[in-house]
Amino acid sequence: MPDDRAPWESSATGQFDPSAQELSELRELILGPERRRLRELERRLEAGATPEELAELLPEAIALRAGRDRQLARALAPTVESAIGESVRRNPREIASAIFPVLGPAIRKAIAETLAGLVASINSTIEHSLSPRGLRWRVEAWRTGVPYAQIVLKHALVYRVEQVFLVHTETGLLLSHAWAPDLAASDPDLISGMLTAIRDFVADSFSPERDAGGLRQFSVGELTVFVEQGPRAMIAAVVRGQAPDTLLARLQDTLETIHLQFSAPLADFDGDAAPLAGVRPLLAECLATVVATGRERDGRRPAWLPWAIAAGLAILVLGGLAWRSHRRWTRAVAQLRSEPGVVLVRAERGSRWSFTGLRDPMAADPSALLAAAGVDTASVEQHWERYLSLQPQLVLARARAALSPPAGVTLVLAGDTLRVGGSASLRWFATTARAAGLPAGVAALDLSGVSPDLPPELASRVAEVERERILFGVGSAALDGPARAALTRVAAALVRVQTAAAVLGANATIELAGRTDPTGSDAANQTLSRERAETVLAALAERGTSPADVRVSALGTTRPLAQGDPALNRSVSFTVSLR
Amino acid sequence: MIQKKVCMVGLFGTGKTSLVQRFVHSLFSERYLSTVGVKIDRKQVDLDGTTVALVLWDLAGRDGQDDITTSYLRGAHAILYVADGTRRETCDQLPELRALVREAAGEVPEVVALNKSDLKDRWAITATDEQSLASAFDLVRTSAKTGEGVEDAFQRIARATLATREARP
Repeated sequence: MPDDRAPWESSATGQFDPSAQELSELRELILGPERRRLRELERRLEAGATPEELAELLPEAIALRAGRDRQLARALAPTVESAIGESVRRNPREIASAIFPVLGPAIRKAIAETLAGLVASINSTIEHSLSPRGLRWRVEAWRTGVPYAQIVLKHALVYRVEQVFLVHTETGLLLSHAWAPDLAASDPDLISGMLTAIRDFVADSFSPERDAGGLRQFSVGELTVFVEQGPRAMIAAVVRGQAPDTLLARLQDTLETIHLQFSAPLADFDGDAAPLAGVRPLLAECLATVVATGRERDGRRPAWLPWAIAAGLAILVLGGLAWRSHRRWTRAVAQLRSEPGVVLVRAERGSRWSFTGLRDPMAADPSALLAAAGVDTASVEQHWERYLSLQPQLVLARARAALSPPAGVTLVLAGDTLRVGGSASLRWFATTARAAGLPAGVAALDLSGVSPDLPPELASRVAEVERERILFGVGSAALDGPARAALTRVAAALVRVQTAAAVLGANATIELAGRTDPTGSDAANQTLSRERAETVLAALAERGTSPADVRVSALGTTRPLAQGDPALNRSVSFTVSLR
Repeated sequence: MIQKKVCMVGLFGTGKTSLVQRFVHSLFSERYLSTVGVKIDRKQVDLDGTTVALVLWDLAGRDGQDDITTSYLRGAHAILYVADGTRRETCDQLPELRALVREAAGEVPEVVALNKSDLKDRWAITATDEQSLASAFDLVRTSAKTGEGVEDAFQRIARATLATREARP
């Protein structure tokens, strides 16, 4: 194996020298494995770590470093972020399904926490609004002109990180600045410079040796400024109230992260802060407002108060609803009770309202009445038995339905007599008024008040008859010549009237009224007037005219035809009634 | 926006503070000068479209040079020296002052404001003195009273800070 031999081993005498041959074999036996191992090690050193070797070591190395500090995570973060970004860009579905099992619980947790925070804030608002302390704060807000919300915050505040500065260590120039949203932060660049100056001032004045730590914290009234120094930048947080120790750790952590992520822009900083714009979100993460919920600070807080208020509100609302429902109920019942033709027998307010009773067919619809009272009729049970009401309105309504009177006719109920007034056609008289039976509740029909509307032809015939007067001599009941002639005319006219009335289906009634002049006694005049009328009736019968319905009345001097004309009153006159 | 730290240095009574107070944005009172030894103001300068915010560190002027707090000079991008034209010694001491400042701040652009230019009758600097000063420094005559030269001084400072920035690799 010549390759295994070192240069100084080869000799000119070589294989011909047996002792040299043995020596070489011996050397090979003793040193061979070691030499091979050396060569392998050399090779490895030259080639560096192979991927296989790295694969062996990587998990352990990562675990070791991650256990020691957070540098590894910080260094890996950008790569991992961009890898995830790339993966999402390429195939969003893969990532979505991978994180799906995590999302649900995370969302539930976030919602639960938000709700818990909301409840706490409602509790504290109610407490602060109604307690004597809350009133005191209101007075304070009114007195100082500061909004109430800020007064509450001032008193309930545990601590609040109001501003965070990132300051270039060497120049004192402001690198970045984050501040609470409602804060009016002015001139952070000047403050950052002054902060640096004060830091130097304190360091120069009290701790001459450099890098002794410098200014870490100072307080002014309710404000405390925390300063954390880094090699290239320092972070300063302005805190109102009592900040916990965790805040310092947080500031240190942020400062380290900034130094790690922005090491190049920090090193190259020469007055232009634009490359450090990405720092601001990191600073903003340090801003925090922590408010006491008040539970542990004020043991006397009546825990029942919010519940009492809620219960009071609920009672008010329910009471209002019940009152409204009750009003609607009483209105509905009153409406039904007062309605003619409706008799409410039973009204019940169970889970569903129910109404039972009697109802005249002519009465108003109970559903409409309930609807008018504001009741939802769809959710109401109703049972109405039909009956006939004798209340005047209902009787009249029924009569109106039965008689169907024309426009000019009025119906009035007097007791159980129905009086008809106005004027109506003969046809209505003939058909409706006579044919229809009396409606329920009406015992008698009084048609005397209604006058017939006569057709013009019949009216002129009637007028013909009624115009005639049969005149007599003084104290006489005998017919003279002119009287006989007039009688003949009347007889003929009466025939015409009867004929015309029969055509229309109506009956004519003739009234003969005998009169006298005022001379003589009343008794004699009464007798004379009767004689005169009966004379005329007899004369009409002689002429073949015998009206079916003739009435004779002896008026004497009681209803004279014309005052002061005795001759005209010694007469018999005619009145024709058509029904 | 670009920010630059500029330190104003000068002996007591050269009118440093009154030189700038009309031209700068102040937040802090002059009490800081006597207590902390520095007061910080801002002066915004527009240079051909570039806005430069000069953060001015007004260092308290003391009687002796040794009184200057050198930590305040650290990281300065430029120095504005203020001398009093009516007091010769304020000019004479400039080279020594410069040596002191350079020790702390390094070699950065420097402008000298020769102040109180309105007091012609009490002027104590000869033309020769002024020329020799101008050969060593970028010299501007200023007057806090009339405002003469003040803007010019700040313009020069701002330009100088930007020039060094661009000159850097």
